[in-house]
Amino acid sequence: MAICPVCEYRSPYWDQISSHIRSKSNSSDVQHVMWLNRNLTIKELTEEELTGSLEEFFSLKDGLAQWIRRRFVEKFYGERPHPFILAMQSPTRGVLLGYVLEHQHFLRNWVRVLAAIIYKTDRDDVVRSEMENMEVEFFGFMGRPAHYELLIRMGESLGMRREEILSTPPLPATASSIRTWRKIAETREWAEVMAAMHSLELVADRTLRKYGAKMHYFKESILDSQDFPREVKDFLREGYEADQKHAGEALETVEKYAKDKELVQVTVLRSFDAFSKYLMARLERGMQFEPGLVKVVEAVTG
Amino acid sequence: MRVLVNGEEVGTKERGCALCGATWGDYHEEVEGNELFFCCDMCAKEFRNMVQEVKRRKGWERVEELEIRGNYYTGRTCVARSRGRETKFYVRFGDDGEVETFRDVE
Ligand SMILES: [Zn+2]
Ligand SMILES: [Zn+2]
Repeated sequence: MAICPVCEYRSPYWDQISSHIRSKSNSSDVQHVMWLNRNLTIKELTEEELTGSLEEFFSLKDGLAQWIRRRFVEKFYGERPHPFILAMQSPTRGVLLGYVLEHQHFLRNWVRVLAAIIYKTDRDDVVRSEMENMEVEFFGFMGRPAHYELLIRMGESLGMRREEILSTPPLPATASSIRTWRKIAETREWAEVMAAMHSLELVADRTLRKYGAKMHYFKESILDSQDFPREVKDFLREGYEADQKHAGEALETVEKYAKDKELVQVTVLRSFDAFSKYLMARLERGMQFEPGLVKVVEAVTG
Repeated sequence: MRVLVNGEEVGTKERGCALCGATWGDYHEEVEGNELFFCCDMCAKEFRNMVQEVKRRKGWERVEELEIRGNYYTGRTCVARSRGRETKFYVRFGDDGEVETFRDVE
């Protein structure tokens, strides 16, 4: 059933949604206008054009998992890739320290949100896969250090003390994104929470090129390069190898069990917006070490 | 005040919101003595806060021209001009339209 992605007003017909959104836009409703600007187009459409555009945007003709992949690529790896991803193509010390300082907060929240999926689901296969993910990301798995630990070691190898890393609070943008994810965890169905979180693991998915991504998360040659400490390569390699599997399997599960696919779609879009803001926080934290990183933003906006 | 967003002159319903260039919405507000069009009151608030921040940091009395590049996702790189002076900066807004990040650009 058709849905307003902002207030979740439902109707069997997209033209009713279109008419609803246009009337909200005519009264300059912030949330509805922002959604249009960020997801469809900044140029006003007629009711008929908007109906077609919404129908096309939410079309599940290739299935839900594919829809999520396609939207992710569009938002983060499209014609204008996200500035942080551009910065990761040849990461500097500032970029990587920005990554470390903000991502520690992301990961600490990550496991807590996965715990909400476990709490809410009635499926043991979902519980098992979330527990495995938590081990890999946070506790360590089969004698290997957790991503969280590898992240801290990367920060240490770049010259920051562990205590200094752990005592640095998140930037406001990171804190705001974390609030969005926690709200999703608290208020949405488990399959929606799963989609909102695990779709983010697509960021390091090497198969995204097949879906139109213009670049990978980072240049693979970094992993063999002598220019980075071993700890940096260890962290990047681990994420690279695990996330592809995580995202792919979780999206299949969501596709199989989601009761209301349109609700999954609107929740995923909210998570993408939070993720984009959070990735900017990593870059802005990097700017505190290297003011010149602002050039990366100019490369995208210019 | 002359405002350009991603290379296009804006500030009317036909040309687009003075902050983001969108032609959705229908909100007008006077900023620095000019009636400007915005797509919503959040963009208007962000715009006002940005102009205020530039004036405060630079000690300018007014901003005569603004070139804005970027969007919600990337943050915005801008050039502000007043009386032959010019300043370049990066700005990103917080959840309530406040200036959350402001950095001078060399
Ligand atoms: Zn609505
Ligand atoms: Zn606007």
